[in-house]
Amino acid sequence: MGKFGKEFTKGLVLSNPVFILALGLCPTLAVSTSIGNALGMTLAVVIVLLGSNIIISAIRNIVPNMMRIPIFIVIIATLVTVVDLIFQANFPDLHQSLGIFLPLVVVNCIILGRAEAFASKNPIVYSIADALGITVGFMLALLMISFLRQILGTGSLSLSVFGLNINFFTLPILGEHPMAIFILPPGAFLLIGLLLGLFRRMGVMKSE
Amino acid sequence: MKANTLKRIFPVILITVVVFACVALLNWTDSITRGKIEYQKEQQIQTMLAEMFPSMSRYTFEDDIYTIYSNGDRVGYAFIAVGKGYGGDIDILVGLEDEATVKGITIIPPVTETPGLGSRIAESSFTDMFRGLNIADVALSRDGGQIDAITGSTISSRAVVDAVRTEAMEKVKLLKDSEEGG
Repeated sequence: MGKFGKEFTKGLVLSNPVFILALGLCPTLAVSTSIGNALGMTLAVVIVLLGSNIIISAIRNIVPNMMRIPIFIVIIATLVTVVDLIFQANFPDLHQSLGIFLPLVVVNCIILGRAEAFASKNPIVYSIADALGITVGFMLALLMISFLRQILGTGSLSLSVFGLNINFFTLPILGEHPMAIFILPPGAFLLIGLLLGLFRRMGVMKSE
Repeated sequence: MKANTLKRIFPVILITVVVFACVALLNWTDSITRGKIEYQKEQQIQTMLAEMFPSMSRYTFEDDIYTIYSNGDRVGYAFIAVGKGYGGDIDILVGLEDEATVKGITIIPPVTETPGLGSRIAESSFTDMFRGLNIADVALSRDGGQIDAITGSTISSRAVVDAVRTEAMEKVKLLKDSEEGG
């Protein structure tokens, strides 16, 4: 496994943005109500993160140290606005259900965090690997949380995003008496807390 | 000396170039998405009109007023009123049954009022109160009208109510004028 592969896989578990780095928790809490929203958010994040990592890595040697943050923010904000407009034009339903959290990707710590910690110090190829790895890690975390929230909170699993509309299954008893708390914010906090603990435990076991 | 000056103004040049490149990119995205976004908004309005006037078979749009027809008969009017809310503009689709009565209102998303408080203006418990009201009665109950403000969200409630009443009165005047003229 080359360095590209290493930079990619580290984002999945060992430095999973949500469970280990604890970055991007705000969008994670907000859009993990259904797996459709989770996938939509992932698409937005992968476009922005890939774009910002590539551009910032490309200009890393000419940007003076004191100008880093303003320049990074201008680039990230531009990319987010582009994604926002494209979603609004092509996926109006998704745009509506992501709501304010789509423009808020601009202050998502994952994006600026990777720009600062990785892309501004590493060549383009590795920055691409980093962006992809972190996004897949983000997607896995979001899917895990939204899968549990949707099943517990609505008693059924369905996917409706990008024009798809699939009903996978409805659970017998839970379908009639869903635990609505899991769709609401407190349920998200509970689940994220439990999963954070689980990932930490796995990390501890691995290092022992 | 000269190299030093260049070093000092370089950050200014760099951020200017970056900002110009970003503006160009934004402009280009706007130009390719604008048509589609407007089309989506039109579709959204159409769906809302159909919900408000279930018998609607077609509508016309002229001078900012939608005129709703059901098989050739005119069944109402609709227009968009803009209220000044707590978190920016609130777009409201207002339906009129005739020139004095409100058919109903729908808040056009996205609702940017405070979540959980002002955002409740979009809920049916609030919007249902407008149904069948005389335009003159569209005011908060504390101002002598028929609408109860949402607890803790007087500014958002009043913004909606005032925008609906003011705009409705203006549109009714326009409608009457054009009828007299024609």
